[in-house]
Amino acid sequence: MSLCFKKKPPPAGKRQTAMTYSEINVLLVDDETIFRKNIIRLLQNKGFSPEEAADGSGCLAFLAQHAVDVVVLDVKLPDINGIEVLKRIRQRENPPQVILLTGQATTEGGVAGIKAGAFDYLSKPVDVAHLITKIIQAYDRILLIKEQQSRDAFRKQMEKRMQAAERLAALGTLAAGVGHEINNPLAIIGESAGWIRMLLAKSGGKDIPYRREMENALEKIEQSIDRARRITHQLLGLVRQQRSEHAAVDPAALIDEVIQLAQRLSQRKKVDIRRTALPAALKIDTDPFQLRQVLINLLTNAIDAAPVGGHVLIAVQHQAGEILLSVKDNGPGIPAEHRTKIFDPFFTTKGAGEGTGLGLFVSRRIVEHLGGRIDFETRLGAGTVFYVRLPAEANNNITGETAS
Amino acid sequence: MKTPVKVMLVDDEKDFVEMLALRLEESGKEVIPAFSGAECLEKLKTHHVDVVVLDIKMPGMDGMETLRELKQLFPLVQVIMLTGHGTIETAVEGMKMGAFDYILKPADFADLLEKLAQAKQSRDAQEERIRRAEHHALMVNSRKGGKNPFAL
Repeated sequence: MSLCFKKKPPPAGKRQTAMTYSEINVLLVDDETIFRKNIIRLLQNKGFSPEEAADGSGCLAFLAQHAVDVVVLDVKLPDINGIEVLKRIRQRENPPQVILLTGQATTEGGVAGIKAGAFDYLSKPVDVAHLITKIIQAYDRILLIKEQQSRDAFRKQMEKRMQAAERLAALGTLAAGVGHEINNPLAIIGESAGWIRMLLAKSGGKDIPYRREMENALEKIEQSIDRARRITHQLLGLVRQQRSEHAAVDPAALIDEVIQLAQRLSQRKKVDIRRTALPAALKIDTDPFQLRQVLINLLTNAIDAAPVGGHVLIAVQHQAGEILLSVKDNGPGIPAEHRTKIFDPFFTTKGAGEGTGLGLFVSRRIVEHLGGRIDFETRLGAGTVFYVRLPAEANNNITGETAS
Repeated sequence: MKTPVKVMLVDDEKDFVEMLALRLEESGKEVIPAFSGAECLEKLKTHHVDVVVLDIKMPGMDGMETLRELKQLFPLVQVIMLTGHGTIETAVEGMKMGAFDYILKPADFADLLEKLAQAKQSRDAQEERIRRAEHHALMVNSRKGGKNPFAL
């Protein structure tokens, strides 16, 4: 055999430069011990760390235990035919590339081998430089396949995410539709109950038997309407505005309005709500209705989370190209097992009829629609801060500088 | 004695109109029902109405179209829009087009009564201003010896 190992192997693929031969796991399978040892030594001289096997079953047993990139496989083996070994190797998950060694002047096994999925074949006697080139090419193929696989995995993940987003969007549309459709019968129930209440209150109604029981039942109807109304209004908040109208919003006025709206709730719980002083002339260019809804949701949650007599702090900062609104409570914090779920639709820790489980879900959709992000920091026993970050460059600006 | 507020309720949900009408009548209002935008405009030609309570979402001619025509044909009639939560923007648009106010559906009755009273007041004040202006115009014209513009 001619062994011309002095010649440097020609470059094979662009990855070669970054690669050392020792990182390629090579398995040499040949029953001729002298030949095998010889090749092993020559490969070692070139920086490879090849493993060896003397027969087909030895090869398969080794593969079952070790990660191998390239198998150099003799076609003529004492136990199992090389082509058969090749076929079994190809059945493995993430199979190594196989370079077949065929007898002199016979390409028959080689052709059959390539049909069975071999990377290539070499006929004996083996030129080691040639073999190394083939090994590197085979390894390149492995890298390529791996790259392809990770690309596929990434694409699949992206597709999955897209599907989830689409599903969520479809869910939003559906939810808004349901909200609308339920609102009308709800309004009729409300008016009818209100009418009955009026009739009972009339002078003639005072003598109606079971009047108090009826009023009690009306109370339940009205409470339930209120509960259902909260849900439909949240669902309708999902309706994506065809064009959300941006305006220069004064955050101080908006926050004060929201605090005002939540006053009944905060007074009942004796929660002290404050807002920090804001930079003068700070205006946010955003959709005031949508931002208001987000702030109402966050503030309501904060009041619910705060202990009786607790406090909530609302702050606005203009920093690093964004407007940062924060709503901070001194409640118990969000337990670890809830942290990944709080933005899910209908997830709530509040009692039946108290929370819709839609507040944060809707808020996140709105904030993202406004080009911002919503996130939170929480510490058990210390409280939670929700942050709403809105872009400052494209959609927001500080007015007041233009005053002439 | 104060004349009762004349309210036209416009909604394609007949049961809603019926029930709300009963409550409003019980509260001393005069109610004229209409179940579509077209019916609303038609009835306004023959009925004196102070305030129209107008549902934004209706099949056929929707609330906004109705509002636009109504304000052209009957600029003095006040309009309170009934809107779902997700359409507050539409309500704002409506107010820019001349609607007096809006209420969320399902409506809070006390809220509706208050807004009806305000709308009526606003309309009365407007009519009063017009009456005074007309009177003024009449005086000026008669002083000039001109023809009375209101004479037939």
